Amino acid sequence: MKWYGKLTTLTLAATLLLGAAGGGAATAAASKLSGKIVVNGSSALLPLTLQASNEFKKLNPKVRISASAAGSVTGPQAVRKGIADIGACDWDASTDVPGFSKFDGQVANKVAVIPFAAIANKSAGVSGLTTKQLQDIFSGKVKNWKDVGGKDADIVVVNRAFGSGTRVNFQMKALQGTDFITKGDNYKEVKSSGDMKTAIETTPNSIGYIDLVYVTDKMTALKIDNVAPTTDNVINGSYKVWSYGYFMTKGQPTGATKAFIEYIQSAKFQNGSLKKLKFIPLTAMK
Amino acid sequence: MSKSISAPARQQSGGVPAGIGRRMRLRLAHRSFRILCAAAAVLVSGVLLTMLFFMFRTGVLTFQSVSLREFFLSAEWEPENDKYGALVFIAGTFMVTALTLAIAVPISILAALFLAELAPSRLARVIRPILDLLVGIPSVVYGYMGLTLLIPALRTVTGSNLGDGVLAASLVLAIMILPTITRISDDAIRTVPRKYIQGSYALGATRFQTVTGIILPAASRGIVQACILGMARAIGETMAVVMVIGNTPQLADSLLKPTSVLTSNIVMQMPNVPFDSTWNNALYMMGFLLLAISLLMIAVVRLLQKKGEN
Repeated sequence: MKWYGKLTTLTLAATLLLGAAGGGAATAAASKLSGKIVVNGSSALLPLTLQASNEFKKLNPKVRISASAAGSVTGPQAVRKGIADIGACDWDASTDVPGFSKFDGQVANKVAVIPFAAIANKSAGVSGLTTKQLQDIFSGKVKNWKDVGGKDADIVVVNRAFGSGTRVNFQMKALQGTDFITKGDNYKEVKSSGDMKTAIETTPNSIGYIDLVYVTDKMTALKIDNVAPTTDNVINGSYKVWSYGYFMTKGQPTGATKAFIEYIQSAKFQNGSLKKLKFIPLTAMK
Repeated sequence: MSKSISAPARQQSGGVPAGIGRRMRLRLAHRSFRILCAAAAVLVSGVLLTMLFFMFRTGVLTFQSVSLREFFLSAEWEPENDKYGALVFIAGTFMVTALTLAIAVPISILAALFLAELAPSRLARVIRPILDLLVGIPSVVYGYMGLTLLIPALRTVTGSNLGDGVLAASLVLAIMILPTITRISDDAIRTVPRKYIQGSYALGATRFQTVTGIILPAASRGIVQACILGMARAIGETMAVVMVIGNTPQLADSLLKPTSVLTSNIVMQMPNVPFDSTWNNALYMMGFLLLAISLLMIAVVRLLQKKGEN
């Protein structure tokens, strides 16, 4: 908690100076940090990284930050190869997760809370499922909506491609590690959250899962064990399907990288810009 | 503008005897231009060779841990369980391409015949530029149309739950390559010498007999080239296919079963593979296969062209 205070003082000082003197001279005086930070990895965390880097660069004009994104796993890989200083990842890559082994020597820095929702097409006629029912549907044991309280229609399962961070988290948190089906007439995979949204909105009787921020009123966000997927339920601890977003670093972060991560973790950023981007602040999860 | 620049240049060279200076300058200009052209040619072919080399170099590493037999003959693609059978994707690519051609070729040839022989020239003059515009439409637009219009229509017509699969992909690709094949076939038909056609009519042949007996055989080389160009475009197409194929690694025993092809599998999985893994290498190998298939197509086109010249 120490650095929280320190950073707040720093930002406060910067703001005051800006207010008093105004202009570039003040910002330059506020920061002696310099260096280059390369961020690679999860596309889900990219909006957060970009927003933070814009704000951070204003406070520390000598720091250059370049951020790009692909799949989650490229983050810790780029860090291991030395291409990137920070690898954004949707799971804690310093531990084993389904399909990916751990990255030794890397430190996972929490930067945000990301909730996920199981979603279904409106035609399915189901508003909630139990964990057991979810497991049965996604593993292919239950094939008809009528078996879980819906109408008499085949269940169309839409899945993310293997390696997707959302898939890893949904499998761990909502399905408690059970396997997905991989084949079938009523099964397909999509390559991004955007495609998932389109698929569920337009395919009758389909079920899938997505980051909570992508949920629209053209689909049903399913209650899991009678708990609705809302930010409030994540914060009060009743909704379990969420994960931290992580910035992976090689060992403990140092220098500009450390300052950047601390900026993202600061109360100002967490309760300001991060909330506006519809992530949940770390501080809310106490 | 040009006068003011060239005038001082002439004065400068005036110091040297006029003939030699001019010859030197010309030689220098010619030689440097030649080097420039050669460098550009080397660059272009170099890019192709390096690409082939790197795709193959990484791709071939697949076979350190996967047998040739498994890669080409197994339909089990589960990288998470160390199963790297690419048969689904290879078969999918050929199935989609074959069905695409089966749909697109007859329609294209009929359309080309209409344009070249039957349509009033004023109408043909309007249709040709429209087809040329259609050739230039980005494939993602076709894919989006497929996703939002074709797939829901397929669901209602066939009663299938998803609609994704070989049929949807082939229909989208067929629509996409129709203008390509039509325009090139149209050009081929129009180059059939007028005297052949007039000779046919003079012998008392009907219009239908002239078309099937004279025009199509005489233009067949160009039409085959058109089909191969369309085929090459269909085989390498990624964005339009990935949106409607379903992306499930299973052999399609029905036209409406979600499956996957080489291109769509590469684009789906590339962002998520660990570097330096067999999985990564296998994707490179698939890329190399695609490259090899399209190069083969181009070689065939060349061969056909040469045959025609003799």
